[in-house]
Amino acid sequence: MNWAIETENLGKRYGKVTAVDSLSLRVGEGEIYAFLGLNGAGKTTTIRMLLGMIRPSSGVATVLDKRVRLGSREPWAQVGYLVETPHAYPELTVLENLEATRRLHPGTPKKAIAQVIERLALASYADRRTATLSLGNVQRLGLAKALLHNPRLLLLDEPANGLDPAGIVEIRELLLEITRQAGVTVFMSSHILAEVSRLAKRIGIIHEGHLLQEINVEELERNRSRRLQVRVQDLETARANLEAAGHPVHVTQDGAIDLMDTDSLDHPDRIASLLVLANTPPTQLFMEQEDLEHYFLRLVGKDGDPQ
Amino acid sequence: MNTLANSLWIETRKVLRSRVPFFTALGFLIMPFIGALLIFIYKDPQLARQLGLLGAKANLVVGSADWPGYLTLLIEFTALGGFFFFCMAISWTFGREFTDGTLKDLLAVPVPRLHIILAKFIVVAFWCIALIGETYLIGLILGAAIHLPGGSLTVILHGTGLLVVTSGMSIILVMPFAFLASVGRGYLFPMGIAIITLILGNLALTLGWGEYFPWSVPALYMQGTSLTPISYVLVFLAGLAGLIGTYLWWMYADQSR
Repeated sequence: MNWAIETENLGKRYGKVTAVDSLSLRVGEGEIYAFLGLNGAGKTTTIRMLLGMIRPSSGVATVLDKRVRLGSREPWAQVGYLVETPHAYPELTVLENLEATRRLHPGTPKKAIAQVIERLALASYADRRTATLSLGNVQRLGLAKALLHNPRLLLLDEPANGLDPAGIVEIRELLLEITRQAGVTVFMSSHILAEVSRLAKRIGIIHEGHLLQEINVEELERNRSRRLQVRVQDLETARANLEAAGHPVHVTQDGAIDLMDTDSLDHPDRIASLLVLANTPPTQLFMEQEDLEHYFLRLVGKDGDPQ
Repeated sequence: MNTLANSLWIETRKVLRSRVPFFTALGFLIMPFIGALLIFIYKDPQLARQLGLLGAKANLVVGSADWPGYLTLLIEFTALGGFFFFCMAISWTFGREFTDGTLKDLLAVPVPRLHIILAKFIVVAFWCIALIGETYLIGLILGAAIHLPGGSLTVILHGTGLLVVTSGMSIILVMPFAFLASVGRGYLFPMGIAIITLILGNLALTLGWGEYFPWSVPALYMQGTSLTPISYVLVFLAGLAGLIGTYLWWMYADQSR
């Protein structure tokens, strides 16, 4: 597989503070890779190192087969990016800002501006000064600047920031489309697992500068904990029968039974039958899967829930 | 070359669309009017007496109420007094990328960083020249309007030559402020240093070390002081240091904004 991004022990220290520590990851061409972490986890620092804006304290980064160096002109002709909050020249219009970006990418045809304006639904704002745009539209302009020159690789830092729910869906569809149709590689950071799990094939979880885990979306589904919650009229009888049948029981504070053994999770129908036969039929029975945010917080050790 | 032309287009558009050039032009516009007013008062002692303090002040500043005296005053105001506005122009051009958060859009692009920086320097130079031209032209019109004696083509040409050299040095001497705007990531730091530089320049002149302090050299040249080549070399080196320092900062410093 060809790697669009490759880092080897990439690290950045600011005095005694380690922002990113020994980060080694690979992103394949045409892949959507999500870089997930809480605020201050090291996501933006990593993206800035990948873009040659910050010199790493250790390790190397390679982007589109070029070793990233400060001040270098390569490989940026084929890279589009959005770093932190997007900014634009406030006194220039949307069109003029895009024209400035076009001129910073020699060889980009003029018609690319009209295309990207249409793609990002910015047509009605084209002649507006960017100082008057809403946060969501500035974000759209930031994405338009990143996409203008049809890059092979997109580095997007929190691309959904400031967008309304419809905008988030729209951008998600757009990113999926360019990945499928043009084989563009997307490396995006986010702090919202639910958002990236709908888009990315692989997710890297970074916490306090360390890459905690790299997982496929399928693995993510398997790793999220599940529980079968049962409510009955006669708690003690139900508990005794379930334990006698070999199902470890956990009674919650509000009087529900939580079952987390594989047999219960795979065959909730058997649990229902068992309880009916024991004359304690379930009044409520449902399967609950750990939500993505809970899973993420559990991974990074920020889960305050005792369960 | 194409990338330099593109960078020039971008920088020019940014300046023309901003209100900052308008404010600097407005600030500069006051200078010829003040010069003409002082000369006008000096020309008419009766009016000077009626105006009291202003009349006394006019006597202090103005050498003679004729074209050579008026041009000297105008050039002092424009090329030397304009230094602060030149600093404002260069500090804004470089510092705004940091304060507006737009610097990141200039970094990972297939355009040589040198071209982006050069375009900014060139646009600032033209901006300063436009300010000087505006002031000088209006100054000449005002001079003609108040019917100053002693005017001739030779006097005007001599004055223009003096203006070109003095303002040329002033423009070179603001180049280090691009570096200060970059290091300070905004315009406040270079503007603060500009005020300190003006104070130090006056101090150097008072102490007699002006010829070795680059920012005092234009004033000495204006006054017709005989200067050694060292003074001019120091002015050139200060500008060069500003250019190289800015380039190195933009190339190799961590840019985390």
